[in-house]
Amino acid sequence: MSIFGAIGVAGSGLTVYRKWLDAVSDNLANMSTVRKTSEAAYQAKSVIAQEIPSASGGGVQVAGIGLGDAAGRLVYEPTNPLADATGYVRYPDVDMSSQMAQLIMAQRGYQANAAVVDRAKATYEAALQIGRS
Amino acid sequence: MSIPAVSAVTAGITPVTGTGYLSPASGTQAASGAGFASALGSVDQLQKLQSTTDALAVKAVTGTLTDVHDYTIAASESKLAVELTAAVRNKAIDAFTEIMRMQA
Repeated sequence: MSIFGAIGVAGSGLTVYRKWLDAVSDNLANMSTVRKTSEAAYQAKSVIAQEIPSASGGGVQVAGIGLGDAAGRLVYEPTNPLADATGYVRYPDVDMSSQMAQLIMAQRGYQANAAVVDRAKATYEAALQIGRS
Repeated sequence: MSIPAVSAVTAGITPVTGTGYLSPASGTQAASGAGFASALGSVDQLQKLQSTTDALAVKAVTGTLTDVHDYTIAASESKLAVELTAAVRNKAIDAFTEIMRMQA
């Protein structure tokens, strides 16, 4: 662990939560992305986090992006230009309330890690004050 | 060239040997730490942190910065490192001036 270990670990947490925010915003942006029934629907993205072993500095990293159901849900919209012969289109299987909850979790996680960075910085500055006067 | 009179005089002088009361000084002992060399090593580290911050600052102004916190954290770390280096240097200078004051 380097000299500013706590700051580095919290920084890795910030990166993971930022990527989670990106995934949630991508899902929300594509909530109404309609496809033909012959095509796969937009797949909801989810961040897969993984711990970094403390031997290599500790913290967290993104192991990969999980993809949701490609089948989505079929909606009867005969007026949609993409509708098939029976009038159905494919909507992505994105649940807005779940995405909004994840948005709050990602935001709070980001804020918590930012608070750790701040607190660690204040602690290191306190160490610099030792014996100053 | 040697002046005969002078060399005759110096030949008569025997070197002063130890009185036996005082043991010869063995010279200053090397400190166990590497002294200023190790302090320079930390300056090297500081230089590395500063160049990381500089690179991220360039990324921020050119619009290629992916994580805002990467830059702010690097800036905080280099600021802390500068303060730490300055604190250590001030302590070293304080110790040095204190020692220099002993001769007065």
